[in-house]
Amino acid sequence: PVLPEGWAGEKDFKPIGHLSHATDRNIEPVGPHFLAHARRKRHKRTFSEDDRI
Amino acid sequence: MSAENGAAQRVAIGISFGNSYSSIAFTTAEGKAQVIANEDGDRQIPSALSYVGGEELHGNSAKSQITRNPKNTVIYFRDFLGQEFKSIDPTPCHQSAHPVEHAGTIAFKIKDTEDETENIVTVADITTRHLKKLKNSASDYLGSQVNCAVITVPTNFADAQKEALKQAAKAAGLEVLQFIHEPTAAVLAYDARPEAEAGDKIVVVADLGGTRSDIAVIASRGGIYSILATVHDYEVSGSKLDQVLIEYFAKEFLKKNKSAADPREDARSLAKLKLECEQVKKALSIGSTGNFSVESLSDGIDFAGTINRTRYELLGSKLFSAFARLVTHAVAKAQLDPLDITEIILAGGNSHTPKVASAVGNAFPESTTILAPSTSPTAINPNELPVRGAAIQASLIQEFDLEDIEQSTHPMVTVTPHTTHAIGILCISGDEHTGKFQPIVDAETPLPVRKTALIATPREGGNVLIKLVEGARHIKVTKPQPKAKAEKDSDDEDDSDEDSDEEEELREKTWKVANVLSEAAIRGVKKGAKVEVQINVKEDLSVNCIFREAGSKTGVRGILPQGKANGSA
Repeated sequence: PVLPEGWAGEKDFKPIGHLSHATDRNIEPVGPHFLAHARRKRHKRTFSEDDRI
Repeated sequence: MSAENGAAQRVAIGISFGNSYSSIAFTTAEGKAQVIANEDGDRQIPSALSYVGGEELHGNSAKSQITRNPKNTVIYFRDFLGQEFKSIDPTPCHQSAHPVEHAGTIAFKIKDTEDETENIVTVADITTRHLKKLKNSASDYLGSQVNCAVITVPTNFADAQKEALKQAAKAAGLEVLQFIHEPTAAVLAYDARPEAEAGDKIVVVADLGGTRSDIAVIASRGGIYSILATVHDYEVSGSKLDQVLIEYFAKEFLKKNKSAADPREDARSLAKLKLECEQVKKALSIGSTGNFSVESLSDGIDFAGTINRTRYELLGSKLFSAFARLVTHAVAKAQLDPLDITEIILAGGNSHTPKVASAVGNAFPESTTILAPSTSPTAINPNELPVRGAAIQASLIQEFDLEDIEQSTHPMVTVTPHTTHAIGILCISGDEHTGKFQPIVDAETPLPVRKTALIATPREGGNVLIKLVEGARHIKVTKPQPKAKAEKDSDDEDDSDEDSDEEEELREKTWKVANVLSEAAIRGVKKGAKVEVQINVKEDLSVNCIFREAGSKTGVRGILPQGKANGSA
């Protein structure tokens, strides 16, 4: 959408809301993508840290 | 493949252990799962053991003993493992050795040695013997001793059952690396194919087995699977389809042989009927007619007959629609609509039946892909799905230490918050009512997640407002117009998962804005340029987002903290 006249925000970003609550579910410990997730979680790495390795 | 810490080298296979059939598979050096046939040449190995004069028979040769030697033949025992006697349903064992209560566990009284005394063999021992046979078949094929396995179990398998299975496997010389759920294994079997993409989809795995049916609704998000709902049913099953054929041929037999005894009333005749009817059912999955023939069916009279597929489908129609109902019920249990379902994977031997696939397919919109041999040329053999998944998982983890595997499968790792709403961008207009929602992160996505998407900007370029919102999926029901053109309108919409269903009323998936998250401005966008949006949702529900014009280095960064209060900037 086109930016309305007079719109302003700090560094052009304006936070308005928050994510609504999440549900806790079990993910299935299966498959290559899960193993990558488990590795990140156990070593407390983020995606970008993981990318660098 | 290298063994570490001096441990013996692992040779891992995947095992699917079912009540009716089991199978074994390994993963080749090229990473392809391959199902192993046993010495009889069977890839679907009946989970059966039979003893004749002290000799142990296994698989198909054991199953055929049901007619001659039913008391010393054990079959359909998987679900008894780790159970209490009063909680089991012994109906499937009616024709073979009956389960009895023994020292707090379940056992069978069989003559399994040369001398004709009845021994009490626990279900755990039976399982051990069965697994040993499977292991030996795999070892013979691979030329090296198999010592560990990934075994598939149903989603409602309790910990006690898993533990019992683990012990039984250990006694058979198999280390269980991991238990994985049958439906997840089936999804993995499909996703491991080179042409598959790890996209975001909702998959229903419908497993129509011999003695039970299991349905699971699974959210697949970037190759990570979460089970949303499961349904188990012990009434709708393949053996009931056999029963339909048994009734049909028994009646035909009695019509032709008026004076003969009813073959259903004699145990041996019934066993013969049952075995032959399963074969007829399999033939009807491939061809349009099935031939039935049994020597000396009842009163020494041979009987041969045929049945065509149409008649069989008519006779079994109640069961087919019951199965389709189970699938839709599972979808409803997951609080989803049939329109939300991307794919239905049909698993289990009875999925070969074309009518099963078409009955399920009719309950879903055309946008839902049905993966079954009769609907998709690329479908994997439904019998082999769980075992292939298990073999793939086995190859992925066989180099890990057991401790590593245990830690990774711990609830600390597997329990993860999942998004309740889809997160995306409002396109076309900043107004919530006229704007169009484009999802970037789907609902039910496990956190943390990072997603990038390209979105179109107004044609003339200039300053652009990016509005990040949460979207809630709605099913819009439109009554048919007399000059129905509504269908075309919905096709123009650019959302990839927008669907329409041409029934009497038109149902489609629409989005409503549930919650506005943030606004951002990107100034001076070139004509026709696209904006790249990257969203990073952390486990604590804070959101990190970056918006930039595609190709440019600079962009707008924003952080939405978690929490309830403190809404505006």
